[in-house]
Amino acid sequence: MTTKGEILLVDDDPDIRDSIKIILESKGFTVRTAANGRQALTSLDQKIPDLMILDIMMSTDTEGFDLAYELKSKPKFENLPIIILTSFLEKVRDEGPDKFQHIMGEEWPAKWLFEKPVDSNKLVAKIEGILAGK
Amino acid sequence: MTDAVDNEENERDLSAEVERRRRIIAGELKERTLWFVMLRWWVPPSILAGVAVAWFIGVKFAVIPLIASAGFILAYNIVFFLLSRRLRKEPSQEPEYIEQFTYWQVALDYGAMFLLIHYTGGAASPFIFFFIFHIIFASILLPSRSAYAFSAFVVVGAGIIAAAEYMQWIPHHALYFQNKAIDLAEKPFHMMAEMAFFAASVFITTFCTTAIMNMLRRRIVKLADLSEAVTLLNNKLQALYVMIQAIGSAQHLDQVLKVVTSELSRLPDIKAISVKLLSDDHKYLYYAAGHGLPEEFYKNKVIEVEKSALHRDIIEGKLYVTGRITQREMAQFGEDLAQEGLQSVLFAPLIVENRITGILGAYCDRPDRFDQDDVDFFRLAAGLVAIALENARAYESIENLIVERSKFMMRMAHNMRAPLAAMVTVIEVLRDGYRGDLTDEQRKYIRRVEMRARSMISLINELMIISRNRSEAREQVKKPVDLNSISGRIQQTFREEAAEKQVAFQVTAPPGLPKITGDPDMIEQMLENIVSNAIKYTRPGGRVGATFSAGTNGHVRIEVSDDGIGIPRADKPKLFSEFFRAQNARAVQEFGTGLGLAIVKDIVDKHGGRIFVESEEGLGTIFVVHLPIAGEENIK
Repeated sequence: MTTKGEILLVDDDPDIRDSIKIILESKGFTVRTAANGRQALTSLDQKIPDLMILDIMMSTDTEGFDLAYELKSKPKFENLPIIILTSFLEKVRDEGPDKFQHIMGEEWPAKWLFEKPVDSNKLVAKIEGILAGK
Repeated sequence: MTDAVDNEENERDLSAEVERRRRIIAGELKERTLWFVMLRWWVPPSILAGVAVAWFIGVKFAVIPLIASAGFILAYNIVFFLLSRRLRKEPSQEPEYIEQFTYWQVALDYGAMFLLIHYTGGAASPFIFFFIFHIIFASILLPSRSAYAFSAFVVVGAGIIAAAEYMQWIPHHALYFQNKAIDLAEKPFHMMAEMAFFAASVFITTFCTTAIMNMLRRRIVKLADLSEAVTLLNNKLQALYVMIQAIGSAQHLDQVLKVVTSELSRLPDIKAISVKLLSDDHKYLYYAAGHGLPEEFYKNKVIEVEKSALHRDIIEGKLYVTGRITQREMAQFGEDLAQEGLQSVLFAPLIVENRITGILGAYCDRPDRFDQDDVDFFRLAAGLVAIALENARAYESIENLIVERSKFMMRMAHNMRAPLAAMVTVIEVLRDGYRGDLTDEQRKYIRRVEMRARSMISLINELMIISRNRSEAREQVKKPVDLNSISGRIQQTFREEAAEKQVAFQVTAPPGLPKITGDPDMIEQMLENIVSNAIKYTRPGGRVGATFSAGTNGHVRIEVSDDGIGIPRADKPKLFSEFFRAQNARAVQEFGTGLGLAIVKDIVDKHGGRIFVESEEGLGTIFVVHLPIAGEENIK
């Protein structure tokens, strides 16, 4: 079985999870899902994926932030690319830019942030670009 | 023990008052005593002139000693003159020094008078009556007691000279006119009679002059008191004025407290001002401000109203004032007043619309500082402070409400958008055939659902933008905005859309456009809205242009023109209102939020710019935006 890459999709919304999983799988990626930060950590401990797609607001307003922070502090996740998905861009703009900059590096937020509903063609193109550059 | 302390303080008070009056009178004395120094310059020449006239009409007398006396007067006046120059330079001399200066002048003048009298016939000297105006001067310059002492000195001195000459203890210098001596020494009875009348004249003059002077001095002190009272009143008015100003400008509670307490502490002798506010349940009083009090004195201190009878009284509307704080009162206030040396305390209830909201406190380290006038003043001041605080509270609660509303809107937007976003994503799975192929008809209907869901998302987004832009609580970003890079991004954003629609799209911006100050995201959003409208309402084959230029009079000009459907004349006035869509726009595009241009107007207004629109239905539309160029200080 050939796969274009393994992706961990973290989102508490089952509809988003299922739909994006279907779309990405049909484009040739292998997709694992997690519904919250805790599940994501368990999944990451088993195997580190090639890329992670992360929702910010889950059970708390900053669950996604907190997870990203935790991962960036651990050397083994240092090279894990993260794409943020959010439906609350204003909050990110008002409260988070500096925080994001720290987590995501210099490219934040132009290339690594998608607002829901996400344009699947753009998302796939982004993922392919990131994985190709890896 | 307290009585002893009280007495001591009474005396201290009294001596302070005496000292104050002494200073006022010393000020007056200084002016007059300086005048006498100037007046004295005329004396030596007058003596010389008198000597010359007497010589001319043939009176014989001791010429040399008289001229020497004139020299003596001139000499000591020179000394006084030099000293008086120093006195003039230092306006606030010690009263003792000015008094001494005056005593020396009077004493030396009297000495000189005795010399003149001795050398012009002793008791028979016509000069003896010149003492009268010296007595007047002394009575003007000196306190009554000293004036009488000097008068006695004159009478005794003249008597001694007369007696000594009569007894021939000292030489007698008689005046001779036509070779006849004018001499009372030979007629003792006449001499005694003259001395008696002279003494009477001296004392009557002293009495009259000192009586008048005492009256005048009382007036001077009264005037000084009055002027002090006027100054105090002026300070009080100033304090009230500042408070009225504080009421007028809707400030925050902290600012109002700071302004009123610091202004009231500027009144004379007021060491500190405190404001205690009553909790909503009226059970506790907590310190909101304590200008002039040390922080540990009031910071985080809470008073239980139930446990303090005095505070209970004040909260019931009574004004409390004391001139000497007793131990019992101190325990009641729960304030370590003695340690700060505070003696007089005044507490006035803060009353607004018959409600007590707190207590205004004034503290002074002098005992018995507050009189009826102060009580009236602080009652008035407390009323104003109460209104100012109430105003500030109302202002703050409105502000909090706005912040709360804004937070609520954000939360609501998220909660509405999340399910819509999920819905659109699920639709995409269906639409693009990830779960099996659709017929064209099915796909058409799925697209219709998707369109409505997406337009709902845009509506929420635009409502959020408007709400955020209009929220006063949100601080406006003030950064230099680079219009050249924005023009590039606009070109990028709409290139595809315009091409798809077969509309020619051209952005023109000369390099090095001047920078404006503001929020770059907002400016970009504003231009996106205008350009997006232009493309949306232009038919295939048409053209849309955005032209940036450095306009005249300190503005950047941005023009967005199209040859689209235009705006009906009747719709133009409502163009920028929320939810408004022109009739012909509805025909082109069924769904639209009607918020795009309202957002544009908000953003232009927020940046101090202006927007104009020119349009002819069926021919096209031109939007022109003027934005002020950043001042030098705003460009980093």
